[in-house]
Amino acid sequence: MSQDLSILSWGVVSPGGTGVASLSNPAAWPKTLVPENAHPGREHPVAYVAPETLPDRWRLRPRFRRASPLSHFMVEAAAQALEAQPGIDRSRLGMICATSVGCSLYSVRFYRQFQKEGRRFASPLLFPETVTNSPLSHLASELNTGGPVYSQIGDKSCWSNALRTAACWLKNGDADSVLVLGAEEFEPHELDAFRAMRWLDRPYTRPFAEGAGAVLLASGSHPNAPKLTQIADGFCFHSLSAGVQTAQKCLGKFPPEIPVCDSATGWIETVAQKTHATRPGFGPLPNLAHEAYCASCSWDTIRAAAYLSTHPSEALVVPYWGLALQVGAALLSGSQFCPPPGGSQPL
Amino acid sequence: MPSLSPERLVITGWGCVSALGEDADSTWPRLIRGEHVRGPITCFPVEGCRVTEGAEAPLPPVNWLTPKQKRRLGRASRLALPAAREALEHAGLLTADSQCTLSELELSLSTTACSMERIEAFVRQIWVPPASHGNKTQSLRVATYQSQQQIKDLQTHLNFSGSSTILSNACAGGANAIGHASDLIRSGMADIVLTGGYDPLCELVFCGFDSLQSLAPDLCRPFDLHRNGLMLGEGAGFLVLESESHAARRGAPIRGILAGYGHSTDTFHLTQPASDGAPLERAMRAALARAGLSPRDVGYINAHGTGTPFNDRAEASAFNRVFGEDLSGLKLSSTKAAIGHTLGAAGSLEAIFCLQSLQTGQIPPQLHTTNPEPLVASLLAKPGDTLAKKAALSVNLGFGGSNAALLFTTP
Repeated sequence: MSQDLSILSWGVVSPGGTGVASLSNPAAWPKTLVPENAHPGREHPVAYVAPETLPDRWRLRPRFRRASPLSHFMVEAAAQALEAQPGIDRSRLGMICATSVGCSLYSVRFYRQFQKEGRRFASPLLFPETVTNSPLSHLASELNTGGPVYSQIGDKSCWSNALRTAACWLKNGDADSVLVLGAEEFEPHELDAFRAMRWLDRPYTRPFAEGAGAVLLASGSHPNAPKLTQIADGFCFHSLSAGVQTAQKCLGKFPPEIPVCDSATGWIETVAQKTHATRPGFGPLPNLAHEAYCASCSWDTIRAAAYLSTHPSEALVVPYWGLALQVGAALLSGSQFCPPPGGSQPL
Repeated sequence: MPSLSPERLVITGWGCVSALGEDADSTWPRLIRGEHVRGPITCFPVEGCRVTEGAEAPLPPVNWLTPKQKRRLGRASRLALPAAREALEHAGLLTADSQCTLSELELSLSTTACSMERIEAFVRQIWVPPASHGNKTQSLRVATYQSQQQIKDLQTHLNFSGSSTILSNACAGGANAIGHASDLIRSGMADIVLTGGYDPLCELVFCGFDSLQSLAPDLCRPFDLHRNGLMLGEGAGFLVLESESHAARRGAPIRGILAGYGHSTDTFHLTQPASDGAPLERAMRAALARAGLSPRDVGYINAHGTGTPFNDRAEASAFNRVFGEDLSGLKLSSTKAAIGHTLGAAGSLEAIFCLQSLQTGQIPPQLHTTNPEPLVASLLAKPGDTLAKKAALSVNLGFGGSNAALLFTTP
C-alpha cells in the first residue's frame, strides 16, 4: 500500500535561535565551557539555548511557569510549525515526542535535592516535571490539541520510529495531521556519562547542544510541500563489527542513486563513513557537528525538508545514527521528484 | 479514508512477573483467591519517606542465561526478560533453548523508569566516589542505563531483531503499547508484535510519589470512600499480538481477541484527571466503537483504580456514564490493591488479567474496599463472582493526562 506524507511545515529551537535559519551556521553557536561533575577541572564546550532567544509568550502561561526547559523548547518549535499552517484542525492533530534524555535537568535536580536534604523534603513541585510525558501534556493543553499523544524514548534512531508512528496514525485515520518533535535539554552529567564510556576527548567528540525541532506531517500531496516518502527503521546491531553491514542494509532500502546526508556524530561516525563510501554523499547540507540526540535528528530532517522545498526535483536520504547500536533513516523528496523505476518502497 | 486490515487482532500468548508470582500461572490463582502483597521496600533505602512499604516482585531466576549475562541485567530486564520469554513460549514461538523462532519480531514496549536504579547508582557515585571507584563499573552502568537497554536485552537473550518502540506515556503506557501494536498490525506495518510493559521499583519514583503524598500509609483501597492513596509495585507483562491470518498460518492457538483500543488526552491538569472523567469516557467509547460492541457486552472492567481520591472519583463518573444504563452482569475491580501500581507495566499486566478472566470465567475480587463509592458500589467484584459476558475492558489513566482503554473478547 503506498502512502504519500507531506511535510507541511516545521519549527526549530536551537542554540542559534529560532527558525530553520538558526541551523545555517552551527559553528557560530555560542558555547559555554561546562565542567564534568566528577572532574571539575575538565571542561567541555556546550551550546545551550539562550533563554533570551526564546519568545516571551510562554514564560508566564500557567502550565509553563514551572515547566522544564525541554517543555519550553518543544512548545516554541511546535507553535512555529502550527502557525505556518493555520488551517490545521487541532482537534484531529496527533503529537509524538522523540527524546533520548528527556526531562533530565529536573530529574537530577529532584534526586540531588532529596539525597542532600533528606527524602522527607523531596519536592512535590519538581517531581511531576520529571515524568517523560509531562512536556507533551503541557503542549496538548497549551496548543489545544485533541488527537493522540505519545512520548517515545530511545537513542537517536527513536526519531525514525516516531516518524513511523506518525505514518501509522495517518494511515489508520487516527489523526488528520501529526506533529513529530525531537527534543533534548543538556544536563551536565552527560559529560560524566560520556567520560565513563571513554567517548570524550576523541577525534569524533562533538560539542553538546540542546533544543527542539518539530515537523508537521499530513497524508496526501500538498502543493510545493516536500514529502516523507520512505522510512527504514529497526536496524539493530549487537557488536561494532556488525555495524557497517547493518547500516548498509538500512541504507540499501533506498534507491542507490539518491544522496545520503552526513548526519552521524560521535563514535558511530566511523561506521557512517564506511557506509557512505558506497553511496553518493550530499555536500550542500554539511554535518551539524553537535550532539543533541533526537533534537539533532529533527534538525537534520528539517534542513533536508527546507532544502527540498527550494529544490523540488531532488530527494535525500537522512540517516539517524543511534549511539546504542541502532540505525534508522528516512527518504525525503521534493514535490516534483520522480522516483526511479522500482525505486522507493512505500511507507 | 485509507483501507485498513479488516482482520481480527488475536492474542496468542502472554507472560508476566508480578508481586504475586514469577509467571502468569502463579499470579492468577493468588489474585483470584484475594491475596495481596505489601511489605517493606528492601531494594533501595526509604528512610525519611512518609510511607516505606510497597509490593516488591520476586525476581525470576532466568536460568537460561550464564551467570555473567545475569549479573549484567538491570532490575527492569530481570522483570521484562522472563515475562517476554513466557509470552513467547505460550505463543509457541520459543525453542527448547529459549530462542525465539522468528528472526524478526517487532517490539512495542512501555516503561516509565527504564533502568533508573542504574542511573541513580551512577550519579550517586559521581557525587560521592567510593575509595575504590573503578571506571569499568561506571562504564557498565552507563552502557546499561539507557532507555533502549531492555530492547537490547530482549533481542540478545531471546535472539531476534526488528523495529522497536518504547512509549513513556506514564501509567497508561502499558495499555498504549498494546494499542500501538494493534495499530501497527491494522496499518499493515507488522503481522506480529511482542508487546508489553515493565517497571522496576526505584528510589526516584518512590520518593516522588511519597512527596506528592500519594502513597497509602496502609492498605490500598480502590473506590473506597476512605481511600488514601496508592501502593507502588513493580512487574512486567508481555503479550504476543498478531493478525488472525498470521496466527492461522503458523497454527498458533488463539487465546483472546483485542477487539478495540481507544485513547485520549486529558488536559485538565498535569497530575489530576478531569473530575467528570470525560476524557476517559472518550477513550472507552472509542474502544467500544472500534470493536463494534455496546456497553452491555462488557462483563468485567479492570479499572485503573489507584486508590487516590481524584483518580477513583473521575473513573467512577466515567464508568457510570458509559455503563450506567444497564449494570446487570457487569463487575469491576482494581487489581492494584493486590499487586500495587506498576506504572508502565500496569496496562499490560491488567490486560493479561482481563484475558485470563475471559479464559477462565473468574473475576479478581476487589480487595480492601469496605465503604464503596456509591457510583460503583454495586459493580465491585466479590470473591467467587464469575464473568457472564463476552468482553472485558481494561482502562488506564496516567500523569500528563494519558487515558487508554483496551477491549478484549473471547476467541
